[in-house]
Amino acid sequence: MARVLIADDSETILLLMRTRLELAGHSVETACDGQEVTDRFANGNGDRNVDVLLLDAMMPRKSGVDALRELRAAGIQTPALIVSAHQNPGDADAATDLEISGYVTKPIDFDRLLERISELA
Amino acid sequence: MAVIGVGRFIQQRQDFEDSIARSYQVEMRARVRLAEGRDVEAARAEVTAQNRRRRELQDQISGDTRDTALLVAAGLIAGLTGALLLFSGLISSMRRPLEELVAAAGRLAGGDRSARVEVGGLSETATLGAAFNEMAQELEAEASQRDQLDRLKDEFVLTASHELRSPLTSVQGFAELLMLDRDSLTPRQAETVEIILDNCRHLVRLLNDLLDLARSDAGRLAIQPRPTEIAPLIEDVARTIRAQTEAKSQTLGEDLQPDLPLVEAEPDRIRQVLINLVTNAHEYCPDGASIQVTARAVGAEVEIAVSDNGPGIPETQLERIFDRFTRGDAGLTQRVGGTGLGLAISKSLVELHGGSIRAASTPGQGSIFAFRIPVANVQRSAPRPGAAAEAS
Repeated sequence: MARVLIADDSETILLLMRTRLELAGHSVETACDGQEVTDRFANGNGDRNVDVLLLDAMMPRKSGVDALRELRAAGIQTPALIVSAHQNPGDADAATDLEISGYVTKPIDFDRLLERISELA
Repeated sequence: MAVIGVGRFIQQRQDFEDSIARSYQVEMRARVRLAEGRDVEAARAEVTAQNRRRRELQDQISGDTRDTALLVAAGLIAGLTGALLLFSGLISSMRRPLEELVAAAGRLAGGDRSARVEVGGLSETATLGAAFNEMAQELEAEASQRDQLDRLKDEFVLTASHELRSPLTSVQGFAELLMLDRDSLTPRQAETVEIILDNCRHLVRLLNDLLDLARSDAGRLAIQPRPTEIAPLIEDVARTIRAQTEAKSQTLGEDLQPDLPLVEAEPDRIRQVLINLVTNAHEYCPDGASIQVTARAVGAEVEIAVSDNGPGIPETQLERIFDRFTRGDAGLTQRVGGTGLGLAISKSLVELHGGSIRAASTPGQGSIFAFRIPVANVQRSAPRPGAAAEAS
């Protein structure tokens, strides 16, 4: 079972994802934006406790992509899935540079998401 | 020169007429003397002399006239040549600015909104150049305004789509959560949740379609075609939709020509077109109908056709079938879940691939939707790597 850190600025979405992931047996931490994610890792309790990052592409203060860019620059290689509202999120270059493991589009297909998390954990 | 020649001619003519007149006067005086019987011999000689003189004058003037005519002709030719020389000078001094104007107009028509000409040369071409620049300036301003509006519209659609997706994700997600515990729901509750989910899926389709159309309108519906095997795509789509067709006891058959060449296509987008066409056939056909997907190579293209033995489409509707928000029979569409945008998007997508799409129907017997996309330049070298990373 994976330890997943989810970042989304919508509490409802966080609740939904937490519920579905916990029902599948994963343990879930949440953050309300990218800043909170980078802060967690800056405090040093990040990569040991998290197997998979699930980051929303668009968040106030700091987007998921920006947060991931900082983590990668700091040498943190935790697998990351980017959640995006759009069908064709980001460009292929960003996916390669930031080692994004995949994209999740909204509305979320949870069966596929859970499958992907199990593969990555 | 011609003017000088003509002037001289007139002067000669005047001199000639004066001389003739004087000659007649002299002759008249001599005839008077002859009539009076004075100096008869001398008078007779004078009359003869004046007649001779007039003849001589006549001869001379004819020659002069010829000479003058020649002179005038020469003058005219010289004048014309001069005028031509002058004119060709004028033309060549106009030619460069005109050529520049033509070139700039070509650039402007080709979309280079910054196309301008240097205003110079003759005053006429300078005026023309200034007018051109003014027109180009206005066009550029208009175009940039239009671009801005397009960008605003694009941003609006993207933002609206993003903002709508989050609540939609919640509605759909929590409804699915309820269905995870389906056994604890009463049949009526389960049915209610199913309706919520159906409508969520419909909204998602509508949002996706609107986004695609907005992108297509803005010329930003980009595809990344690559050599693609078409048969697995068709089989995948058939697998996805089979549950729905079976629910209506419809048969969904495939007839794929073996060893189809690779096509130059973006698999996700071609899958989208296929899903659209097969879903349309499924939704517009009654229970028990049969739907057939065929694929065959036609020259440098592969044609994929979805045919059915459903109610067909009247000719008046067939003409506008690829227009947005054009939908089949109103009575039928109330039961059918489409957005009215699917075929418009399918057409855009197929055309983006450099292909074409057409529809044919015989009311009462069925319909066929067929599209063609170009075969890839590269054919079956290595097995194609899996599709891009996509988790959902």
